[in-house]
Amino acid sequence: MFSGWNWVAHGFYLLLNICTFEVSGGLVQSCGHIIPESPVLALGSNFTALCILNESCLDFGNIYANQIIWKIKNKVVPKEQYREINRTVSSVTFNDTSSLATPLTCNILADGQIEQNIYGIAVTIGLPPEKPKNLSCIVHQVSKLTYPMTCTWNPGRHTFLDTHFRLKYRWPQENFPDCIPKDVNNSCTIADVQFFVNLEVWVEAANALGKAESDPLVLDPIEIVKPLPPHNLSVNSGILPTVLKLSWENRISGAVMKLKFNIRYRTIGDTNWMQVPPEDTASPRTSFSVQGLRPYTEYVFSIRCMKEDGVGYWSDWSEEKTGITTEDKPSKGPPIWRIVDASRSPASWTLHLMWKALEPFEANGVILQYEVTVRAKSSLSSPPEKYNVNTTNLTLKLPNGTYEVTVIARNRVGASPPSVLLIPASNSKAPVKNVRTLPKDGKLWVGWTAPSSYVLKYVIEWCLVSNSSDCIIEWQNEPGNVQGTYLKGDIKPFKCYLITVYPLYADGQGSGQSVKAYLQQDRPSKGPTVQTKKVGKAEAVLTWNHLTVDEQNGFIRSYTIFYKTVDGNETAVTVDPSKTEYTLSSLTSDTLYTVRMMAYTDEGGRSGPDFTFTTQKFGKGEIEAIVVPVCLAFLLIVLLGVLFCFNKRDLIKKHIWPIVPDPSKSNIAQWSPQVPAKHNFSSKDQMYPEGSFTDVSVVEIEADDKKSFSEQDLKPFDLLKKEKSTSEGHSSGIGGSSCMSSPRQSVSDSDEGETTQNTSSTVQYSTVVLNGYRDQTPVQVFSRSESTQPLLDSEERSEDHAGGGDSTTQRQQYFKQNGGQDETNTDRPCFERTKQIISANEGDLVGFAQLQISSQSSQPLGLGLEKNTQEAALPDGVQTNTEGQTMRPETVEGNPPSADEMPKSYLPQTVRQGGYMPQ
Amino acid sequence: MAAADSPSAALRRRDLCSRGIRLAGKMRSDVVDLLDTYVERQGLDASASVAAVEGVPAAAVERWDEQTGTQRLLENLAAYRAFRVLLAQMLEEQREQLGEADAALGRALAGVLLQVSAFAYHLEELLRLESRAPPSEEGSGPPPAPHLGLFERKLRGLGVLRELAQWAVRSARDLRQLAKPSPGSSSAPGMAESP
Repeated sequence: MFSGWNWVAHGFYLLLNICTFEVSGGLVQSCGHIIPESPVLALGSNFTALCILNESCLDFGNIYANQIIWKIKNKVVPKEQYREINRTVSSVTFNDTSSLATPLTCNILADGQIEQNIYGIAVTIGLPPEKPKNLSCIVHQVSKLTYPMTCTWNPGRHTFLDTHFRLKYRWPQENFPDCIPKDVNNSCTIADVQFFVNLEVWVEAANALGKAESDPLVLDPIEIVKPLPPHNLSVNSGILPTVLKLSWENRISGAVMKLKFNIRYRTIGDTNWMQVPPEDTASPRTSFSVQGLRPYTEYVFSIRCMKEDGVGYWSDWSEEKTGITTEDKPSKGPPIWRIVDASRSPASWTLHLMWKALEPFEANGVILQYEVTVRAKSSLSSPPEKYNVNTTNLTLKLPNGTYEVTVIARNRVGASPPSVLLIPASNSKAPVKNVRTLPKDGKLWVGWTAPSSYVLKYVIEWCLVSNSSDCIIEWQNEPGNVQGTYLKGDIKPFKCYLITVYPLYADGQGSGQSVKAYLQQDRPSKGPTVQTKKVGKAEAVLTWNHLTVDEQNGFIRSYTIFYKTVDGNETAVTVDPSKTEYTLSSLTSDTLYTVRMMAYTDEGGRSGPDFTFTTQKFGKGEIEAIVVPVCLAFLLIVLLGVLFCFNKRDLIKKHIWPIVPDPSKSNIAQWSPQVPAKHNFSSKDQMYPEGSFTDVSVVEIEADDKKSFSEQDLKPFDLLKKEKSTSEGHSSGIGGSSCMSSPRQSVSDSDEGETTQNTSSTVQYSTVVLNGYRDQTPVQVFSRSESTQPLLDSEERSEDHAGGGDSTTQRQQYFKQNGGQDETNTDRPCFERTKQIISANEGDLVGFAQLQISSQSSQPLGLGLEKNTQEAALPDGVQTNTEGQTMRPETVEGNPPSADEMPKSYLPQTVRQGGYMPQ
Repeated sequence: MAAADSPSAALRRRDLCSRGIRLAGKMRSDVVDLLDTYVERQGLDASASVAAVEGVPAAAVERWDEQTGTQRLLENLAAYRAFRVLLAQMLEEQREQLGEADAALGRALAGVLLQVSAFAYHLEELLRLESRAPPSEEGSGPPPAPHLGLFERKLRGLGVLRELAQWAVRSARDLRQLAKPSPGSSSAPGMAESP
């Protein structure tokens, strides 16, 4: 603790001593200094600095050289570089000054604890100047008498120091003040120099580390002059149309310099300069006539100059001046061609003459008009016709023939040589062959093989083929000795051109040979739109339209059809470009296909839109192959059936349409004396003439039961009738009601109209006769004819009329069938109610059942039954029927046959009871 | 004379003559221009006649064609040394009179002075090629300019310039004569060149 305070007190004392010393001395003086003071050092050299302490400080502060610490900025220099020269001097050495930096300070460590700065110096490090190189000078003329000289040089490497350059120059006997560059270190301009005396020029570079001089340049400034270009250039047209005279003023005295010149010129609009031969302008002058120019052409001129002997520099080009040569007569006649339109009239032409305006270098002036002469070759006597036109075409209507057309262009100076075109009546001469094209250098070249005979010239016609515009013909002439040329026009890429070559002979003209060409092809702008024309089971006929010429962009080389199923691979088929239809085969039936089509030119293809179609499930004829045999088989079966039915018609008829005997024709009906005769019975009688009435049903009922049957047993029938009447005649499935229903009636009930029909056609077909048993003579007869068994009138009649030996069999079957129906269809209640009848006579059951069915089958029948007893009128529904039908019940019940007829029809039917015996 | 016989000396002589002739031509051209400027700026009459200026050697000489080359060179050198002094005086007077106001006239005078000096150097070099050391300038110059009035100084300047223009013509002819290959002459063959 004590030692720490001791150090602080000692340091404070030392600082106080220093300050006291400085103040007492009256000067600000440090305890030492460094030698050298602010040195400028060469980069990479070695350097030694000395720090010298003042003796006075030694006494006050016990400061010695061995306590000195050298620092660069704040970095201590390694002690290995120190050397204590004596008690007050310490040195530090740096082998390479590149490790130095500013400031370099000398410090002292007082009592080994406190570091105190004694002195510091700034060190400047740089390089000595290099010898300036590549000194060159040029004298720019800025006015007639002022010739400043500018010299430039390479100053060499950067020195990191302030380096001064001086351009020195002198005459052998006289020195001049140095030229000091301003703001730059590599050039300087001497305001004025004198010519014809050699001048020695050199550059001196100097900085703190040294001085360097360039190699001297000895020159006469006149040899490095870049003069001002001639001025006041004027261009005047001369007498000749091919000459222009230039005049100018030189801006350098001939006494100073003799000049030579360059003259360049070009036409307006051209960028390339032409030059007058230099040898023509290699001597001093102030004017020159440029020859070989084109008449009536505007030229631009410019001129420059330099020292005549070529030593020095060319001046800049002078300002440009223009001049126009005078007109000359046209150098050639305009190229001429024609279009012959013979479509309107076979005997005359519409002749479109057209010629090209002369190029400016051919027109040699302003073309004022064209003189066209048309001479008919066929009629030499007729004078040629002349036309003066201002345009470049002329349309004439001429009779067919051979003509010679001459065109002359005329300007202010004169007329051109004539252009002659022979228009023959027909292009009968040999044409060219093998017309071909080739795109080359952005132009379209047309070549052909010349005919064997001498050709004056060729005419190449071409036009752009397009859907949107007409073929506007362009053309050009070519001399007869060429067999190919470039088309001179705006030939566009991707467009189709129709090119035709005509050879022109001295005495005629060959027909044109054409070829189509593209300057450049591209992919088609769209693909063909494909669609199906016909789709089958395994094939599809595709059709498409050719692309229009505007869409093709090139020659269509091929089509490719791509088709695929939804999940299948795409299949490609290449098709000839001339086709517009193609059949895809081997397709899968009933499958969705996607098809598209690409059209290819030489440059590639483009696809059209997708089209989908589905193949058919059956192929062509398959359905027919199935349907036709089936139909034939069906027809055959039907035919066989018909034949069979025809053969078995009787059997069928017996089963299906059994012949129901017409009660009205029954003998018993005729016989019954109690049946009152109706007034209109005769009509019925006419319908069923005697002899034809063969089919009747006979129910034999015991005579003993006549009364009970007629009175008691019929009551329930009346009740049933009433019930039926109240239940609107429909089968209700209750007891007797259903029992009364016959199958046919049930069907009829379901169809009102048919019911009506059935009802209306109801025929009372049954006659119940109460007679004696067997051969007994019947005592009492109850006869009724109320059967409503539906009968087809015609059939019934036909059967009746045709009644043959089979009638007995049919009748038997009919009864059997009815019996069967009773057994199967009759409900039990019905059966119970009929027991009484069974008990009376079991053999009558069948007939009674038939009676039940008959009475239930038609309500009017029931009504008729009641009315029969009451002798009521016919039901209304029956009245609406045909007369013959409506008559039948009346015939049975109300109209007994006449006394004469009764025995005839009755006798055969009264043979036996409960059956039917053949007559 | 030995030096003049060497090819390099002959080339050097021809070159000096050639450029001396062209320098004389330019000097005459510039002096003529300077005369116009001088007359205008000094307010003098271009047609004013000026008496012979003291200390200015006359360009006109009798029997010019009989002079030797060395004699021509010496007369030219003496004349141009005199002109150099006179022009320097004129330049100083002009600066005193007009200051920097008329820099163009001063630059023109300085330019002519430089050309006169350069031409004198040409002559000295030619004399050296003739193995003749050029005479010392001491005592050969024009007498000190007397104290003249302003107008007299202007007229004197006009006279100096006119005489210089004459000398420029004569010097060109002298050098052309020197450049001619003449057996009687000590000079080497040279190529004549017209200004």
